[in-house]
Amino acid sequence: MSRNNPNKDSQTPDAKKSISLPVSRVRLIMKSSPDVSSINQDALFLTTKATELFVQHLALSSFNNGSGKDSNTLEYSDLAKTTEENETFHFLTDILPKKILARDYLKTLEQMQEEEEEADL
Amino acid sequence: MASSSGNDDDLTIPRAAINKMIKETLPNVRVANDARELVVNCCTEFIHLISSEANEICNKSDKKTISPEHVINALESLGFASYITEVKDVLQECKTVALKRRKASSRLENLGIPEEELLRQQQELFAKARQQQAELAQQEWLQVQQAAQQAQMAAASASAAQQAGSSQDEDEEDDL
Repeated sequence: MSRNNPNKDSQTPDAKKSISLPVSRVRLIMKSSPDVSSINQDALFLTTKATELFVQHLALSSFNNGSGKDSNTLEYSDLAKTTEENETFHFLTDILPKKILARDYLKTLEQMQEEEEEADL
Repeated sequence: MASSSGNDDDLTIPRAAINKMIKETLPNVRVANDARELVVNCCTEFIHLISSEANEICNKSDKKTISPEHVINALESLGFASYITEVKDVLQECKTVALKRRKASSRLENLGIPEEELLRQQQELFAKARQQQAELAQQEWLQVQQAAQQAQMAAASASAAQQAGSSQDEDEEDDL
């Protein structure tokens, strides 16, 4: 039910028109942050709105700076690129593992194993 | 998508909400699936970032609860100052809504007209309505009566004419 109606918050139904993300979920995520104790209700709305703006900002920035503009597609690489180039988005570097082809990874694994075996001999 | 294992770190904004926002921001643009997944995770990361910063600012002040002010300062110090204007608008809206609700509940009490007066006005209106109904009913009754009288008269003259006609016939017969 909450999926279909993410705006369910019995406290202030009208303010929700300007917020699309589920406030309750944002609260849960905030509380899972270490040391965060209590959050004022208005502060919660603010954070939710800020997160919305962030999504828009990230999407637009990635699309405009990336190669996606020509192909009209937003790709993972566009996001990775904008994260690198934009200082404000640097906090995202940790969750953006550099993607490598599976076969390259397997090759690297093999190489590592070979090196180990040689070292054992 | 919340993990059923209940692990806090798996908490994310529902994918559907993110998809909707991306679609509204970039209409007619295809978005790769792994890109969508990434945006979902970036959101969580962003929320943690803001919460931690706001929490630190809150700790430095002598407050125990993170306030809107703390969040705004956090946005500023983290380089998201461009969000502040819009974010403040939402704050204003929240306050307005709360104010409206408080006003609405007191509005009824403060109509300016005491209850007895309202009751009196209501009774007056009812009385007037009843009178109008009575007058209407009377008019109709009169009309019915008039119609009945006319009908009677018409019937009477008709039979009178008949009688007059038949007595003439009798006289004629006698003469023959």
